[in-house]
Amino acid sequence: MAKKAEEKELTIEEAFAKVDEKIKALEEEEVTLEESFKFFEEGMELLKYCNESIDKVEKKVQKIMQDGQTEDFE
Amino acid sequence: MRNENVYTVSYINSFIKNMFQQEPLLNNLTVKGEVSNCKYHTSGHIYFTLKDASGAISCVMFKGNRMTGLKFQMKEGQSVLVSGTIDTYERDGKYQLYARKIELDGEGALYEKFEKLKKELEERGLFAPEYKQPVPKYIKTLGVVTASTGAAVRDIINISTRRNPYVQIILYPAIVQGDMAADSIVNGIRVLEEAGVDTMIVGRGGGSIEDLWAFNEEKVAEAIFNCSVPIISAVGHETDTTIADYVADLRAPTPSAAAELAVFDVSLFLQDIRTYQNILYRRMSGELEKVKTRALNDKRLLDHLSPEARIRDKRMRAAQCSDKLERLMLDLIKGEKHRLDVDIERLKALSPLDKLHSGFSYVSGSDGKNIRSISQVKEKDSITIYVSDGAIKATADSVESRKYGKES
Repeated sequence: MAKKAEEKELTIEEAFAKVDEKIKALEEEEVTLEESFKFFEEGMELLKYCNESIDKVEKKVQKIMQDGQTEDFE
Repeated sequence: MRNENVYTVSYINSFIKNMFQQEPLLNNLTVKGEVSNCKYHTSGHIYFTLKDASGAISCVMFKGNRMTGLKFQMKEGQSVLVSGTIDTYERDGKYQLYARKIELDGEGALYEKFEKLKKELEERGLFAPEYKQPVPKYIKTLGVVTASTGAAVRDIINISTRRNPYVQIILYPAIVQGDMAADSIVNGIRVLEEAGVDTMIVGRGGGSIEDLWAFNEEKVAEAIFNCSVPIISAVGHETDTTIADYVADLRAPTPSAAAELAVFDVSLFLQDIRTYQNILYRRMSGELEKVKTRALNDKRLLDHLSPEARIRDKRMRAAQCSDKLERLMLDLIKGEKHRLDVDIERLKALSPLDKLHSGFSYVSGSDGKNIRSISQVKEKDSITIYVSDGAIKATADSVESRKYGKES
């Protein structure tokens, strides 16, 4: 339960939260066209990041032993 | 020589019953023994015998006590603790134990141990919500500390890979019951923490309280508490709650549920991304639409205010004015012409020639004056009668007065 050191890299959750911010910013009445382009681009960039954060390779279940050695399970 | 006192069976049974009932110990006691001759009667009552190495006692649990007093299926050979009252059964002259509560032997002791440790760890703050780590929503590696055989590991693997086959599962094959279980689980947590998994599931399938006991051990609780990786506990069934469940960052009712909590659904994730993309596109095109509309409005406004538009406007007004003038002028001319026509007609009506044409005559005397009265003419006077095509010279034969209608 001890807290882990803060990670520098953006987590997917944080990225989604930021996308939400961009969407909110885009909804603002006062937003300029330049700003809206910026928000849009940043939002799309973040979504790309989320999508790419998922390593799309199917994994085999690994078995780990006491000494840290792993092998395929089953 | 026979004893003087002779009693009936009923009397003596009743006498003994009374003795039993007077004895406080027999009215509330717990007896330990092994179950034999256990019969679940169709009436709902349970009849069994409790025995140990050298004796036996008949027992009965009435239907009405079963809901609250018995939490398991009684079987032959089980060691149990039966709480209730010992009373006589007068019909057979037997005494028996009327059970209010039946517990498996060892359960009560374990339960007390559990409560004691729970209280102690709670006081030490091991269950405090402020120490709970949030379980990350999107993980890449899942650690599992459980037995490498059995339903629990199957369920976790099946559900995890179904939801998201891209998550790496690392299993620590732990011993989950017996004397070595606690150490094995503690090791598993440590090894997987070092391996750097994102979330850990620690648990096992259902079993008796003894089977699950390792998850009630202090060292397991401490290992869970000290682990830097968020831990989801998944011990037994929904109704089993262990110390591990209290101390874990998140408690899952079953191993399957733990997998659902630990591993995000990749198809939902991809769907979320698409949804967000659509929202962004929609907002952006909305923004562009707004700008376009504004540009169009501005253009209209500018067009309207341009010198060209002003000239066009003035020209139009000039044209309108000239049209109006023309129309007014024409109306005027038409009016005048009409008046002229009317005058002509009136003049025509007044023309003397016209009257001659219609048969009237003009009569003048010798002096050339128009004769309007008989007073201007005497007999034999010469008169001239003018008709439409000439004049007739005539002499007045006679003059006589005549009245024509009303005298004017």
